[in-house]
Amino acid sequence: MAEVEINAVSKAFGKLQAVTDLSLTIGNGEFVALLGPTGAGKTTALRLIAGLEQPDEGSIRIDGRDVTGDAPADRDVAFVFQQYSLYPHLTVFENMAFALRAPIRRMPEADIRAKVQDVARLLHIETKLDNKATLLSGGQMQRVAIGRALVRSPSIYLMDEPLSSLDAKLRGELRLELKRIQVDLGATILYVTHDQTEAMTMASRIGVIEGGRLMQIGTPREIYENPINAHVAARLGQPVINLLPAGLFAGAPHGAETIGARTEHLTIARGGGDVSATVKRVEHLGDQSHLHLDLAGRPVVTLADPEAAFGAGEVVSLRLNKPLFFDAKGRRVAA
Amino acid sequence: MNELSASSRITYRAVMVRPDVARRIRGLSDRTLAWLFITPTIVLLLAINIFPLLWTIYLSFTNYRANRSNVPTIWLGPDWYQSILTDPDIWAAMQVTAHFVIWTVVIETVLGFGLAYLIDKKFRGHGMWTTIILLPMMLSPAVVGNFWTFLYQPQIGLFNYVVAFFTGSAASSFQMLGDVTLSPWAIVIVDAWMWTPYVMLICLAGLRSIPDYIYEAAEVDRASKWRQFCSITLPMALPFIMLAVLFRGIENFKMFDMVNLLTGGGPGSTTEVASITLKRAAFESWRTGYSSAFAIILFVTVFGLANIYVKALNKVKSR
Repeated sequence: MAEVEINAVSKAFGKLQAVTDLSLTIGNGEFVALLGPTGAGKTTALRLIAGLEQPDEGSIRIDGRDVTGDAPADRDVAFVFQQYSLYPHLTVFENMAFALRAPIRRMPEADIRAKVQDVARLLHIETKLDNKATLLSGGQMQRVAIGRALVRSPSIYLMDEPLSSLDAKLRGELRLELKRIQVDLGATILYVTHDQTEAMTMASRIGVIEGGRLMQIGTPREIYENPINAHVAARLGQPVINLLPAGLFAGAPHGAETIGARTEHLTIARGGGDVSATVKRVEHLGDQSHLHLDLAGRPVVTLADPEAAFGAGEVVSLRLNKPLFFDAKGRRVAA
Repeated sequence: MNELSASSRITYRAVMVRPDVARRIRGLSDRTLAWLFITPTIVLLLAINIFPLLWTIYLSFTNYRANRSNVPTIWLGPDWYQSILTDPDIWAAMQVTAHFVIWTVVIETVLGFGLAYLIDKKFRGHGMWTTIILLPMMLSPAVVGNFWTFLYQPQIGLFNYVVAFFTGSAASSFQMLGDVTLSPWAIVIVDAWMWTPYVMLICLAGLRSIPDYIYEAAEVDRASKWRQFCSITLPMALPFIMLAVLFRGIENFKMFDMVNLLTGGGPGSTTEVASITLKRAAFESWRTGYSSAFAIILFVTVFGLANIYVKALNKVKSR
């Protein structure tokens, strides 16, 4: 395991600027998640670190060594590809053992076997080892792809949406499992995802990336509570933060154009609030309810206690409680 | 305006189905319609494939001669088969065929795969090179046979000139088509020249079917280029290579036109492949019954070998 340092890296594909001036240091044993929508440049960032792409500008250092011009093989990184990238003509065992069989390792066959079986057990694919890789289900293939990385002890694990093709239950299980493995091994992981839950639950730090730029990096709590702009604020939180014109409520600070109100910033009452809104729809999720409101023609979504039996058409009263404020350009304004 | 409507009326009439025909079609079930569509194909297949095959099998047991149809046909039983399988000349022809098939297939596969591997590197102008390489394959075997006889001409032939240029010996010191030891190789060279592009094309399809991300995974897994070639490129392209070998093998087992034009089986019988022996027996000696038996033997041989091979191919594919 090692520290990975990305220094002012830029990469363009023709006219498309995929990554712009990305600087990021991933500490030894740290789990960093890059969170962003499709096409934000997350995967390109991973590929640049792996050496599958060459940066136009900037440098990449692994364990203090400049590897910017090195081939992927010389960087000793493990990559979990989103599209699995399994070797279709090999068995699961051979897929996982492939990297261990690299001549530079000189690993004895017995050790390879033991290592692969250990990891297979961890990922619950030990009964599939003799199967051909392409005859597995999507979830199993994804686990083989993760396993192929886990058998190694690389300087960094690079994971490109490794859980995206799993069903919700398995995803939840593997999320816990992956975090446990990371803590056990003390592994350095850079994890790319568009799923905020994965980023929030596993990462020690989250980097929010958008349009090829790293907008903010910090602990999940920092990112959630102190987003530097409206983009970052909209990335985290379920339901999505409500962005409302500052004029709708009294007491916005000077320069604030937009109020960002998450569920916890909104108190709903049957009366006595700051403004009133009409209930449009109620989504019952069991333990909680999503309340879709209409506030002066603008949609507002918030959580409500399932016990509070609101009905469509009902008029409720909202009170703001320390919301976030943003200026005309979406930047954060102190309250 | 008038013209336009007139022409459109004609088109309409052309596609209109006569009412009585329409009524007859409407009464047919889907099954009947299906039979209606495939019957011409089946009839054609029976007439030009199955019937001649069965007729040949029948003739192979008789003394029939196509140039003496007035002589009464006598049933001989398996006499021809016995005499063919014990005839040393036939075995010599089979050996010539085997030499030709094995060497052409080996050379074409190695060169074809090598060329495909280079073309797949997608260097500048690889599209143009692909087209140029494919040219020999697009020529007619008759043309190829004819102009290679010129290339092999000892005094004025370009092939002899080039060999002479590089080896320093005299151009007319050897005859590719007239020499007992060289002529089997002369036909191998021509076939390889003409059909290597075909093997290349199939191999190229195989190489193109390997996605880039497999190589990226291998790259990250720290596999050297050589290891990537051995454990990814070769095994994943293998079904395609085997298919090319199958096609070329069958094709060359029954090779006739090119050899007939280049050497006609000579000198002596050094390039007399099975199909030339067959043609001589059938259309020079007019031993129709005998040559029918020989044709059946060849057919069974190719059919059997191809079947064994296809089984192996399927095993590789399902691996």
